[in-house]
Amino acid sequence: MAVKAFSDEWASQFKDEVNKSPVYKAAAKGWKWTVGLVVEAEPDKHFPEAKGIVMDLFDGEARAITVGTAADAQKCDFVLTAPYSRWKEVATKQLDATKGMLQGKLKLKGDLPTIVRYTKASQEMTECTTRVAVEWPDEN
Amino acid sequence: MARRKLKFDVESRGLVEYADDEPSAFASMLGGLIEANVRTHPEKQNDFDSLKARVGIFVTDIDEGVTLNFTGGQLVVHNGLEPHRTLTIRTDAETVMSLSNLKIGLFGLPVYYDEVGRGVAAKLIRGKLKIEGLLPNVLTLNAVTRIFSVQ
Repeated sequence: MAVKAFSDEWASQFKDEVNKSPVYKAAAKGWKWTVGLVVEAEPDKHFPEAKGIVMDLFDGEARAITVGTAADAQKCDFVLTAPYSRWKEVATKQLDATKGMLQGKLKLKGDLPTIVRYTKASQEMTECTTRVAVEWPDEN
Repeated sequence: MARRKLKFDVESRGLVEYADDEPSAFASMLGGLIEANVRTHPEKQNDFDSLKARVGIFVTDIDEGVTLNFTGGQLVVHNGLEPHRTLTIRTDAETVMSLSNLKIGLFGLPVYYDEVGRGVAAKLIRGKLKIEGLLPNVLTLNAVTRIFSVQ
Protein backbone atom coordinates (compact mmCIF):
# COMPACT_ATOMS: atom_id res chain seq x y z
CA MET A 1 0.00 0.00 0.00
CA ALA A 2 1.32 3.42 -0.95
CA VAL A 3 2.41 5.81 1.80
CA LYS A 4 2.53 9.59 1.74
CA ALA A 5 5.81 10.98 0.44
CA PHE A 6 8.32 11.85 3.17
CA SER A 7 5.92 10.86 5.98
CA ASP A 8 6.79 8.84 9.08
CA GLU A 9 5.31 5.75 7.38
CA TRP A 10 7.50 6.36 4.32
CA ALA A 11 10.59 6.67 6.57
CA SER A 12 9.73 3.39 8.29
CA GLN A 13 9.29 1.52 4.98
CA PHE A 14 12.45 3.09 3.57
CA LYS A 15 14.41 1.92 6.61
CA ASP A 16 13.03 -1.61 6.18
CA GLU A 17 14.05 -1.63 2.51
CA VAL A 18 17.58 -0.50 3.38
CA ASN A 19 17.94 -3.17 6.05
CA LYS A 20 16.62 -5.87 3.70
CA SER A 21 19.28 -5.08 1.10
CA PRO A 22 22.36 -7.35 1.14
CA VAL A 23 23.94 -5.05 -1.47
CA TYR A 24 23.67 -2.06 0.87
CA LYS A 25 24.89 -4.08 3.85
CA ALA A 26 28.06 -5.05 1.99
CA ALA A 27 28.68 -1.72 0.27
CA ALA A 28 28.17 0.38 3.41
CA LYS A 29 30.45 -1.65 5.65
CA GLY A 30 32.50 0.84 7.65
CA TRP A 31 30.10 3.76 7.13
CA LYS A 32 29.61 5.61 10.44
CA TRP A 33 28.14 9.01 9.62
CA THR A 34 24.67 10.51 9.66
CA VAL A 35 23.04 11.60 6.42
CA GLY A 36 20.42 14.31 6.10
CA LEU A 37 18.14 14.80 3.12
CA VAL A 38 16.62 18.25 2.86
CA VAL A 39 13.44 18.26 0.79
CA GLU A 40 12.77 21.86 -0.14
CA ALA A 41 9.21 23.13 -0.28
CA GLU A 42 7.37 23.52 -3.57
CA PRO A 43 3.93 24.94 -2.72
CA ASP A 44 2.79 24.72 -6.34
CA LYS A 45 3.39 20.95 -6.17
CA HIS A 46 1.32 20.69 -2.94
CA PHE A 47 4.49 20.33 -0.88
CA PRO A 48 4.20 23.53 1.15
CA GLU A 49 6.88 23.08 3.83
CA ALA A 50 10.46 21.86 3.69
CA LYS A 51 11.18 18.58 5.43
CA GLY A 52 14.34 16.91 6.64
CA ILE A 53 15.05 13.21 6.59
CA VAL A 54 17.62 12.18 9.19
CA MET A 55 19.32 8.85 8.57
CA ASP A 56 21.36 7.22 11.30
CA LEU A 57 23.42 4.75 9.28
CA PHE A 58 26.09 2.57 10.78
CA ASP A 59 28.23 -0.17 9.28
CA GLY A 60 25.72 -1.34 6.68
CA GLU A 61 22.64 -0.91 8.83
CA ALA A 62 20.00 1.81 9.00
CA ARG A 63 19.61 2.26 12.77
CA ALA A 64 16.96 4.93 12.38
CA ILE A 65 15.37 7.02 9.65
CA THR A 66 13.16 9.85 10.85
CA VAL A 67 11.33 12.78 9.32
CA GLY A 68 11.78 16.19 10.91
CA THR A 69 12.60 19.72 9.92
CA ALA A 70 15.13 20.85 7.35
CA ALA A 71 17.23 22.17 10.25
CA ASP A 72 17.38 18.67 11.74
CA ALA A 73 18.76 17.26 8.49
CA GLN A 74 21.26 20.09 8.09
CA LYS A 75 22.97 19.03 11.33
CA CYS A 76 24.00 15.67 9.83
CA ASP A 77 27.56 14.83 8.73
CA PHE A 78 26.46 14.66 5.10
CA VAL A 79 23.60 16.73 3.73
CA LEU A 80 21.92 16.39 0.35
CA THR A 81 19.56 19.20 -0.59
CA ALA A 82 17.08 19.43 -3.46
CA PRO A 83 13.55 20.63 -4.12
CA TYR A 84 10.65 18.20 -3.69
CA SER A 85 10.30 17.53 -7.42
CA ARG A 86 13.98 16.56 -7.77
CA TRP A 87 13.68 14.02 -4.95
CA LYS A 88 10.57 12.68 -6.66
CA GLU A 89 12.62 12.25 -9.86
CA VAL A 90 15.24 10.30 -7.87
CA ALA A 91 12.64 8.09 -6.18
CA THR A 92 10.90 7.35 -9.49
CA LYS A 93 14.19 6.57 -11.29
CA GLN A 94 13.94 9.57 -13.60
CA LEU A 95 17.15 11.02 -12.15
CA ASP A 96 20.23 9.04 -11.20
CA ALA A 97 21.53 10.39 -7.89
CA THR A 98 25.20 10.27 -8.97
CA LYS A 99 24.45 12.23 -12.13
CA GLY A 100 22.27 14.59 -10.11
CA MET A 101 25.21 15.37 -7.82
CA LEU A 102 27.64 15.91 -10.71
CA GLN A 103 25.12 18.23 -12.37
CA GLY A 104 24.40 20.14 -9.16
CA LYS A 105 20.77 19.08 -9.18
CA LEU A 106 21.35 17.52 -5.75
CA LYS A 107 23.57 19.71 -3.61
CA LEU A 108 25.98 17.84 -1.39
CA LYS A 109 27.65 19.03 1.79
CA GLY A 110 30.20 16.81 3.48
CA ASP A 111 33.57 15.17 2.96
CA LEU A 112 33.79 14.40 -0.76
CA PRO A 113 36.34 11.56 -0.64
CA THR A 114 34.16 9.71 1.87
CA ILE A 115 31.00 10.02 -0.20
CA VAL A 116 32.86 8.97 -3.36
CA ARG A 117 34.31 5.97 -1.53
CA TYR A 118 30.76 4.84 -0.74
CA THR A 119 29.25 5.50 -4.18
CA LYS A 120 27.90 1.95 -4.44
CA ALA A 121 26.18 2.23 -1.05
CA SER A 122 24.56 5.53 -1.98
CA GLN A 123 23.40 4.09 -5.30
CA GLU A 124 21.81 1.13 -3.52
CA MET A 125 20.19 3.46 -1.00
CA THR A 126 18.63 5.32 -3.92
CA GLU A 127 17.41 1.97 -5.27
CA CYS A 128 15.79 1.33 -1.88
CA THR A 129 13.77 4.54 -2.14
CA THR A 130 12.39 3.37 -5.49
CA ARG A 131 11.04 0.19 -3.84
CA VAL A 132 8.72 2.13 -1.52
CA ALA A 133 5.29 2.71 -3.07
CA VAL A 134 4.60 6.41 -2.66
CA GLU A 135 1.55 8.64 -2.87
CA TRP A 136 2.88 11.91 -4.29
CA PRO A 137 1.08 15.10 -3.21
CA ASP A 138 1.15 16.60 -6.71
CA GLU A 139 -0.56 13.55 -8.20
CA ASN A 140 -3.71 13.65 -6.05
CA MET B 1 38.98 35.23 -17.22
CA ALA B 2 38.82 35.78 -13.46
CA ARG B 3 40.08 33.08 -11.14
CA ARG B 4 38.26 32.35 -7.95
CA LYS B 5 40.06 30.75 -5.03
CA LEU B 6 38.18 27.93 -3.40
CA LYS B 7 36.42 29.16 -0.27
CA PHE B 8 37.61 26.37 2.01
CA ASP B 9 41.19 26.73 0.85
CA VAL B 10 42.41 28.17 4.15
CA GLU B 11 45.82 26.54 4.34
CA SER B 12 48.95 28.54 3.65
CA ARG B 13 49.16 27.37 0.06
CA GLY B 14 46.24 27.51 -2.36
CA LEU B 15 46.07 24.18 -4.14
CA VAL B 16 43.00 24.59 -6.30
CA GLU B 17 41.71 27.53 -8.24
CA TYR B 18 38.80 27.85 -10.63
CA ALA B 19 39.17 29.53 -14.00
CA ASP B 20 35.50 30.45 -14.20
CA ASP B 21 33.57 32.86 -12.03
CA GLU B 22 30.86 30.23 -11.67
CA PRO B 23 32.45 26.78 -11.61
CA SER B 24 30.07 24.03 -12.66
CA ALA B 25 28.93 21.52 -10.04
CA PHE B 26 31.16 18.93 -11.71
CA ALA B 27 34.17 21.27 -11.66
CA SER B 28 33.59 22.09 -7.97
CA MET B 29 33.21 18.43 -7.12
CA LEU B 30 36.42 17.33 -8.86
CA GLY B 31 38.40 20.30 -7.53
CA GLY B 32 37.08 19.71 -4.02
CA LEU B 33 37.80 16.00 -4.22
CA ILE B 34 41.39 16.48 -5.37
CA GLU B 35 42.03 19.20 -2.81
CA ALA B 36 40.72 17.04 0.04
CA ASN B 37 42.74 14.04 -1.20
CA VAL B 38 46.02 15.95 -1.43
CA ARG B 39 45.57 17.67 1.93
CA THR B 40 44.75 14.48 3.80
CA HIS B 41 47.16 12.07 2.07
CA PRO B 42 50.79 13.23 2.15
CA GLU B 43 51.74 10.47 -0.31
CA LYS B 44 49.63 12.23 -2.96
CA GLN B 45 51.45 15.51 -2.40
CA ASN B 46 54.56 14.41 -4.35
CA ASP B 47 52.51 13.53 -7.40
CA PHE B 48 50.56 16.77 -7.12
CA ASP B 49 53.73 18.85 -6.79
CA SER B 50 55.41 17.29 -9.81
CA LEU B 51 52.48 16.81 -12.18
CA LYS B 52 52.33 19.14 -15.15
CA ALA B 53 49.52 18.16 -17.48
CA ARG B 54 46.18 19.29 -18.86
CA VAL B 55 43.64 16.56 -18.29
CA GLY B 56 40.16 16.69 -19.77
CA ILE B 57 37.31 14.66 -18.29
CA PHE B 58 34.07 14.52 -20.24
CA VAL B 59 31.05 12.79 -18.73
CA THR B 60 29.10 11.47 -21.68
CA ASP B 61 25.73 10.90 -19.99
CA ILE B 62 25.47 14.40 -18.53
CA ASP B 63 27.22 16.07 -21.47
CA GLU B 64 29.57 18.02 -19.22
CA GLY B 65 33.30 18.25 -19.02
CA VAL B 66 36.14 19.90 -17.19
CA THR B 67 39.81 20.52 -17.82
CA LEU B 68 42.20 19.97 -14.94
CA ASN B 69 45.33 22.02 -15.51
CA PHE B 70 48.02 20.69 -13.17
CA THR B 71 50.91 23.12 -13.05
CA GLY B 72 53.22 21.46 -10.51
CA GLY B 73 51.83 22.15 -7.06
CA GLN B 74 48.67 23.87 -8.18
CA LEU B 75 45.53 22.92 -10.06
CA VAL B 76 43.33 25.22 -12.12
CA VAL B 77 39.92 23.74 -12.93
CA HIS B 78 38.16 24.96 -16.06
CA ASN B 79 34.52 24.38 -16.95
CA GLY B 80 34.42 22.44 -20.22
CA LEU B 81 37.19 21.01 -22.38
CA GLU B 82 40.01 23.47 -23.07
CA PRO B 83 42.47 23.02 -25.96
CA HIS B 84 45.98 21.50 -25.75
CA ARG B 85 45.09 18.65 -23.41
CA THR B 86 47.63 15.97 -22.55
CA LEU B 87 44.93 13.38 -21.84
CA THR B 88 41.19 13.31 -22.29
CA ILE B 89 38.97 10.80 -20.50
CA ARG B 90 35.49 10.30 -21.93
CA THR B 91 33.09 8.07 -20.04
CA ASP B 92 29.82 7.97 -18.09
CA ALA B 93 29.21 9.28 -14.57
CA GLU B 94 29.32 5.83 -12.98
CA THR B 95 32.76 5.13 -14.46
CA VAL B 96 34.11 8.50 -13.32
CA MET B 97 33.16 7.40 -9.81
CA SER B 98 34.81 4.02 -10.38
CA LEU B 99 38.03 5.71 -11.55
CA SER B 100 38.18 7.58 -8.26
CA ASN B 101 37.66 4.29 -6.43
CA LEU B 102 40.60 2.49 -8.07
CA LYS B 103 42.95 1.14 -5.43
CA ILE B 104 46.63 1.98 -5.72
CA GLY B 105 48.90 -1.02 -5.44
CA LEU B 106 52.58 -1.88 -5.64
CA PHE B 107 54.89 0.75 -7.15
CA GLY B 108 52.01 3.23 -7.11
CA LEU B 109 50.21 1.49 -9.94
CA PRO B 110 46.41 1.42 -10.11
CA VAL B 111 44.95 -2.00 -9.27
CA TYR B 112 43.00 -3.44 -12.19
CA TYR B 113 42.49 -6.96 -10.81
CA ASP B 114 39.93 -6.31 -8.06
CA GLU B 115 36.19 -5.79 -8.70
CA VAL B 116 36.41 -2.03 -9.33
CA GLY B 117 39.58 -2.36 -11.42
CA ARG B 118 38.13 -5.15 -13.56
CA GLY B 119 35.03 -3.04 -14.16
CA VAL B 120 37.15 -0.10 -15.33
CA ALA B 121 39.32 -2.33 -17.55
CA ALA B 122 36.23 -3.93 -19.10
CA LYS B 123 34.80 -0.51 -19.95
CA LEU B 124 38.10 0.46 -21.56
CA ILE B 125 38.06 -2.71 -23.68
CA ARG B 126 34.40 -2.23 -24.67
CA GLY B 127 35.00 1.39 -25.63
CA LYS B 128 32.76 2.77 -22.88
CA LEU B 129 35.82 4.43 -21.40
CA LYS B 130 37.95 6.28 -23.91
CA ILE B 131 41.28 7.84 -23.04
CA GLU B 132 42.73 10.05 -25.74
CA GLY B 133 46.52 10.48 -25.54
CA LEU B 134 46.91 7.37 -23.40
CA LEU B 135 49.88 5.65 -25.06
CA PRO B 136 52.48 8.42 -24.76
CA ASN B 137 51.16 9.47 -21.34
CA VAL B 138 50.68 6.31 -19.30
CA LEU B 139 52.81 7.66 -16.45
CA THR B 140 50.77 10.86 -16.38
CA LEU B 141 47.55 8.83 -16.27
CA ASN B 142 48.90 6.80 -13.34
CA ALA B 143 49.83 10.00 -11.47
CA VAL B 144 46.39 11.51 -12.10
CA THR B 145 44.76 8.28 -10.94
CA ARG B 146 46.80 8.32 -7.71
CA ILE B 147 45.78 11.94 -7.01
CA PHE B 148 42.16 11.24 -7.93
CA SER B 149 41.77 7.99 -5.99
CA VAL B 150 39.96 8.09 -2.66
CA GLN B 151 41.08 4.58 -1.74
